[in-house]
This record gives sequence, C-alpha cells and structure tokens, in this order.
Amino acid sequence: MTAAHSPVEAEALPDKPQSQRRRFWRRMFRNPLAVLSMLWIAFLVLSWIWPELVATKDPFKGDPTLQDIFLTPNGEYWLGTDGFGRDYFSRVIHGAGFAFQSIFIAMSIAVGIGVPLGLFSGWRGGRIDRTIMWFNDVIFSLPIVLLAFAVVIVLTPSLNSAMVGVGIAMSTRFTRLTRAVTLAEKEELYVDAARITGLSTPTILRRYIAPNLLPSLIVQFAIIAGAIILIGATLSFLGVGANLDDPDWGVMLSRSRVEFRRVGIWQIVPPAGALVLTVLSFNLLGDAIRDSLGRDKTSNALTVSKRVSITPTDRPHREDSLLSIRTMDVEFPTGGGDPVQILNGVSMAVQPGETLGVVGESGSGKSMTVLSALGLTPAPGRMTRGSVKFDGQDVTSISEREWQKIRGKDIGVIFQEPIAVLNPALKVGRQIMEPLLLHTDMDKKAARERAVELLAEVKVPDPRRRIDQYPHEFSGGMAQRVGIAMALACSPKLLIADEPTTALDVTVQGQILDLLMEIQEERGTSIVIITHDLGVIAEVADRVIVMYGGQVVEGGAVDDIFLRPRHPYTKALLDTMPQNHHGDDSPLAVIPGVVPSPTDWPAGCRFAPRCEHATDRCRDELPGLEVLAPGEVVRCHHHGELRELLASEWTEVTL
Amino acid sequence: MAKYIAFRVLATIPLLLAIAVLTFGISVAMEGRGSIAVSVCGEGATQECVTEVEAALGLDDPLPTRFVNWLGDVVQGDLGTSLSNRNQLVGDLIGERIWPTLSIVSLSLLIGISLGMFFGISAAIRPGGLLDRTLSIVAASVIAAPGFILGMLLSWWLAVRWGWFDPVGYVSMGESTSGWLKSITLPGIALALPTLAIVQRQLRSSMANALQSRYVLAARARGVRSSKLIVSHALPNAMIPTITVIGFRAAAAIGLTVAVEVVFGIRGMGELLVTSIVNRNVTVLQGGMIVVGLAVATVNLLVDISYGFLNPKVRLEK
Repeated sequence: MTAAHSPVEAEALPDKPQSQRRRFWRRMFRNPLAVLSMLWIAFLVLSWIWPELVATKDPFKGDPTLQDIFLTPNGEYWLGTDGFGRDYFSRVIHGAGFAFQSIFIAMSIAVGIGVPLGLFSGWRGGRIDRTIMWFNDVIFSLPIVLLAFAVVIVLTPSLNSAMVGVGIAMSTRFTRLTRAVTLAEKEELYVDAARITGLSTPTILRRYIAPNLLPSLIVQFAIIAGAIILIGATLSFLGVGANLDDPDWGVMLSRSRVEFRRVGIWQIVPPAGALVLTVLSFNLLGDAIRDSLGRDKTSNALTVSKRVSITPTDRPHREDSLLSIRTMDVEFPTGGGDPVQILNGVSMAVQPGETLGVVGESGSGKSMTVLSALGLTPAPGRMTRGSVKFDGQDVTSISEREWQKIRGKDIGVIFQEPIAVLNPALKVGRQIMEPLLLHTDMDKKAARERAVELLAEVKVPDPRRRIDQYPHEFSGGMAQRVGIAMALACSPKLLIADEPTTALDVTVQGQILDLLMEIQEERGTSIVIITHDLGVIAEVADRVIVMYGGQVVEGGAVDDIFLRPRHPYTKALLDTMPQNHHGDDSPLAVIPGVVPSPTDWPAGCRFAPRCEHATDRCRDELPGLEVLAPGEVVRCHHHGELRELLASEWTEVTL
Repeated sequence: MAKYIAFRVLATIPLLLAIAVLTFGISVAMEGRGSIAVSVCGEGATQECVTEVEAALGLDDPLPTRFVNWLGDVVQGDLGTSLSNRNQLVGDLIGERIWPTLSIVSLSLLIGISLGMFFGISAAIRPGGLLDRTLSIVAASVIAAPGFILGMLLSWWLAVRWGWFDPVGYVSMGESTSGWLKSITLPGIALALPTLAIVQRQLRSSMANALQSRYVLAARARGVRSSKLIVSHALPNAMIPTITVIGFRAAAAIGLTVAVEVVFGIRGMGELLVTSIVNRNVTVLQGGMIVVGLAVATVNLLVDISYGFLNPKVRLEK
C-alpha cells in the first residue's frame, strides 16, 4: 500500500502524448526563469544570424585618435568602449556568433560520436560494451581543458581546433547517457517481444529506444551547450582559442585581464555578463526542461507538516483506550485548487492488550490514519480536524520533540517493505541499538547485548554474527524480523504493524504472523495491524475496522463481522477471500470498479458506485457513522434492511 | 577493506597506461601532420636544430619501440628535455611550476567541498524554503561563471579596491608561510566557488532523495532526532552520488586552474602548458599531461576508496 506516500497519484494519470506535450509547454511557459532564458537565447540567435540588425557599429573599428578608449556606458556607446575605442555593445553582439559557432562544431562532434557509440555499446552489451565504456570513462575522467590542449597542439591553435577537442571530450557524456538508456530499455519486455517478432534493430531503436532517449538527451543538450561556451571562453581567454582581434567573449576578457585593475572593473563587465548570462540561460533551460518532464519533489520525511489549527471534535474518547482517534480529517493542499481530503472523520480505538485489525483496499487511507495519529503525516499533508489520545495524554498537537520521546519507546512501528526501512549504509545492530540508546539509560555495550537478545527473541539465527551485517545481507523475512526487533526494543505499549507481511513470501508470512501473536501473548502488547488481507485479520485480530475511501465504514468484533457483516463493502471483501470460494465452477468473486480517487469522491456514499444495493439516497447523501454499541459502528443508510441479506452463509471459517 | 583498496590501486594501472597511450599519441599525430622539428625550429630551420629535435623525439625507431622507450623513461621519472631549450629537463620545469598549481587546487577543493557540503545539507533540511531557494539561485549563477571571471571580480574588490591581498604574484611556502597562504587565497576561492556550487546542488538533491526514503521515516518512527536523521541516516547515503560528482569536479578543477593562474599572474602549470602549445613544444605538453593524468588517477582512487567506506555493498563484494 503506497497511497500514503504518493497521495496525489491522480496527477499522474496516464496521458495521451499530445496532452503530455501540451502540459510540458504549459509548465515551461509558467516558469519565469525558463521564459527569460528562452528569450535571451533567442536574442543571441538573432544576433548570430544578423548581427548588423542588432548592433549598428563596426565591432573592429576603433578610435584612431585614442580619445574614446576605456569608456563606461553612455548614449553613444551603450556598453562603453575597449582599449582601442571599439564599441563594446557591437563586440558583445558579434560575440554571439563565436559562441554559437563553438556550440555547433563541438556539439556536432559530441552528438555524432556519442549517441551512435552509446547505442551500439548498450545494444551489443557484453565484452564489447565493457571495453567501449572503459575507454569512454578514461576520456571522461580527464579534464576537458587538457584534452582540448592535446587537440590544439596537434591541429595548431584556433577556435575550431579547440572545439574539436571539446567535442571529443563532451561525446563521452552523450555515450554514457545513451548507453544507459539503451541498456535499460533493452531489458524491457516489449523490446524483447519486438525482437522475437522479427523487427529489425534500426526499427526497434527508432520505435522504442529513441522516444525514451530523447527527453534526457534534450536536457543534456542544453546543459552541455552551456558547458561548451564556458570552456570555449576559457580556452580563448588562455590564447589557444579564437584570434586576438576577434570579438569573442573569452578573447575580450583576455584583452582586459590586466587593464581592468587600472581603468576599472567595467572593462570586463560586457563580455563577462554576456558569457555568464548565456551559460546560465542554457543551464536554467536544461533544469526547466527536466522539471517540466518529471514530477517535482518539494517535501521529505523530515518535513514536519505545517501546523494548522486543528478543529476539535465533540466525539468523546473512551477513557480505557490505549490509542484513541476521533473524527480525524487529513488534507493535502494542491497547487492552488481546493485541498484534497484524504481522510474524513476517521475514528478508531485500541484497548490495552487487544489486537485491532484495520482492513481495506489500497487507497482507503489505512496507513495514512496511523501515520497521522503518530504525527507522521507525510508532508505537505496535514491533519485539519480531530483528536488523538495515547495512554491518557492528548497528543493531537504536541511538538515533534515531545513525539520523539513517545515514538520508539511507547509505540513501535513495523513497516511494509522490510528492506527499504533499514538504512543500507548502517549495520543492522546499530539500527536496533538506536531506540535503546535514545529511550533507555543503557550504554553502548549493554544496548549491544540487548540487541543480540532481541534478535534471538525474534528468532534470527546466529544473532551475534548477524548484528554486524548490513541490510543487503538479509532476506525479506529476516529483515522483517529485524524490523520487529527494532519496534520491540523498548517494550512498547503499542505495536503498529503496517502491512507487515505483504512484501513477503507466503511461507514467511505465516511465520511473521505467528511471531506477532506470540509477542502479543507473552507481553500483552496492544497491536494495530493494517492489512488488505482479511485472512490475516481472521488469524490475529480481536476487533476489526473496515475502511473505504478515507472513511471508516464498519467496525466491530472479528467474529461478528465475519459472520454477520453490516456494510455491503465488508460483505464484498469477504466474498473475495479464497477461503470463501465454494469450490464450484463459479469464478472467484471480485469487487467491480476501483476505489475512487481522493480528488473525485462521489457526492453520496463513497461505495455507492460499486454497491449492488445502492439507492438514489445512497448516491446523493453521505451516510454518517452510526454507533451501535461501544466499538461497534457502521456507515450505511440501509444496514438495517440489509442485515439478513448480508449475513454470511460461510460458517466453517477458522476464527 | 584492505583487499578492496588493493584491488582499486591495481585497477588504476590500466587507467595510467591508457593516459600514457593518449599522451604518446599526441607526438605521433603531430608527426603525421608534418614535421614537428620544422614547426619547433621555425620556417628557416637550421639542419642542426632539426637533427637535435628529431633525436630528442627518437624519430628514427619504429613506433612500438619508441613507445616502449618513452614509457620506460616516463616510469623512471624522465620526461625528456624541452624542445625549445635542449638543456632544460621537462621534469625540472614541471617540478618548479607544479607547486603553485597544486596549492591552488588543494585549497579550492578544501573550501569547495566543505562549504558545499555545509550549504547542501542546510538547503535540504527545508526543501523549497527561503534558504533553499536563495542558495539554488546563487549556485546556478556561480556554476555559470567560469573561475577566471570570478577571479577577476575578487581581484578587483579584495585586492585592487580594498588592498587586502596582492593582485598578482605567488609567494612560495619556503619564503613565507603566511605570504604563501595569502597569495593563493584569492585564486583558491575563485576556483572553489563553482566547486562549492556543484557540490551544494548535488548534495541537496541526493539529501532530498535520502530524506524521502522509507528508512528515514522508519528512523523517525523510532524517535530519532531530526539532527541525527540528517547526519547519521541521510548523509552517508546521500554522500555516495556526491562523492562521484566531487571526483569529476576535482578533475575539472585541475584543468580549469590554468585560467585562474593567468588572472593572478601566477607562473604555474597553466602558463607552462599554454606556452608549450603556442611554441608546439610537445615534450613539455606531454610531461604536463602525464602529471595531470597522475593527479586525476589519484583523485579517482580516492573517490573509489571513499565510495567503499560509504557503501557496504561495494566494499563487501570484492
């Protein structure tokens, strides 16, 4: 269940290529830096093609009387003059031609060598690929300036020979990129299929590889264009590029590199400004293209969600609950429109020593509920309504610092992907010791001993050796045992297990569930287990909460709900269990349709579009959560009438 | 780890050999385009000069013999003699010129990497925050400015206007340690600024990725403090791609320092190499390439070793 971590998936709905292109350009034009960069580059291109249109003065004609030299900007000379009295504005404008000539030569060589070589190397693979890439990396690792020197000494100094050297150096960047994309695409099944059906290699390259290569190539193109100008200017500045009289930006800087100290910094400003602006424009353009092609990231796991005023709730907490959540709303702000409500009025409670199951399809808000209850709402999401009480303390709006004292000590969390939640750079032992060192007064030695014990308790063989290993040396099942050991380290009162077995092999799943039940029996820990698998609930839970579309739709004792579900959704879930399949020829039941997207909740009951019992009332009016008895709730207009109809004919279940 | 380091050291040998082949290739390519001797001695070359240059290059022998002889000399530290002054050993020339260059590059890497890491981490803590946005604009602008332009700006304000530093010249460490440090400060900073910006950008983005990971969320669920999440959990993982980028930038800085030296009138490797190109003095350029190649190989080795320290997967495989 990943919905909790990419909550606004709706944005990534598959698009047609046309609308993708339109979205790309819309994003580009909405980015002011990208627009400015494009305008500046367009202006330079115009200056390159038709410099006389932009600059009226002769860039080579100086003042023979040497009166108008080293001038600062004025009405006659917009950007002042150089040491020969030549108009700086004209020279800078004519310099654009040298910059684009450099890009043209170096880029032709770089793309001309790099792309075919990368395609060939990636497509062939094996030893040829390794050899080519090894030589490529040797050239890649050498300074570009040095490679240009080597080419220049052979071809004699000129801007063109310098650009041959730069082009060869830059080709290694294109080889790497092209080869990486080709290699990745080659592994794809549809490319395999194309090969088997006998499509020729050029056709496959054109049809499958090129479309995936092009976006990254364009980004690289912009950034390398900037780098070419930068290195070209450096070489001209050193005197191994353009001629001494050319209005090339690097040469201009070289000519005033001594004089500026005497006559003032302005002497370097026109060429330096033009150079920096141009390189910056290409870089910004590259960044903007990349951002417009992909999705942006503005939050991380550290970002504590912005504090907003949380509307209190009038639903009282039960005094005896260990963790109690009351009418919780969680929202995600969108780029300007209304915020998307992920959770709506969610309430649940765990009693001491009890195992509560939370069940629902992906996207129903199960993980989001517990993460938000622990103050871990993934940013930019935030809780806007509700109240959370843990162990008698109101924790609804306590600070991150106060949470740090509770998390890991009184509440342990077990996650879904056991390998991904272990830090790959740190030894497993160090990670198990972490909560012990944070929350108890154990020293390192004692914590280490305790970590070994914990690993033994969760039945990891050879714990003394395993403790000094890294996560990548663990299998999924073993890693999950480590995760459980970490969660148990400080003997928490509450254990939250977020789909603890989903990512594991079926045989390992049983072992992990057995382990959780054992822990529960021995320590009397309360457990909240989140799952989409009713089989897991049947095996371990005392009570169950069923969630759908960010709401609780039913809750009660496991035995009651399995035998006499009140909500049509619960009934539908039960029918999809393989155990409930009666062995006749009928296919295994599935729930028609999909969970609605949070951006598009139905107006009435959220399950109505998929419910075979839905009426007009269901489609228009959202049913409230009805409390039938303490811990027994249902959200359905018709639960009374449907009571007998939904009652399960399935009795042989092992509860 | 020792085994891993030994393996990486051995792996640099083919790299050095490839650099040697490339370097040797320069004189072969030049010969292919016309006599080096004539271009070195000038149009009205005396026979004496031509014979001398050709002997220095050993042009009479077949190519493989020439390469083996040349490589043998290079390995023993004999880089030959300068073609423009036959009494001058290339090794001595480089020995004189390498210290300013080495000083500037080292200082720039020290400043660029440490401050780049500091600002990279600072920006990653609050993505999209004021500091992050400011730093990203500053970094983008600095990356677009070559070191020699930054050098001219620094020289104008800090040396010419305010007189804190000498605008030109290099003081060797032997003459005066404080003078040495003062003379390399401005060129060091000029070369460091783009490094700083590149490291900042890379670390900021890889930190952002690391902080979005499940293991950071899990550590936060164990009650780990934010400062510890950053330093102990996210940073070691974020450093892996950053180290690679630092290696590339270090190699680039070794090349780009030549232009910065010119701005500050420092007679280092930069001036030596540029002069050798203009005079077609190929033995000096080859010597320079060998030395720079050695430096690049050393940087690569350091990168590989730090990579092994940071990434247990890489270290344990070998």
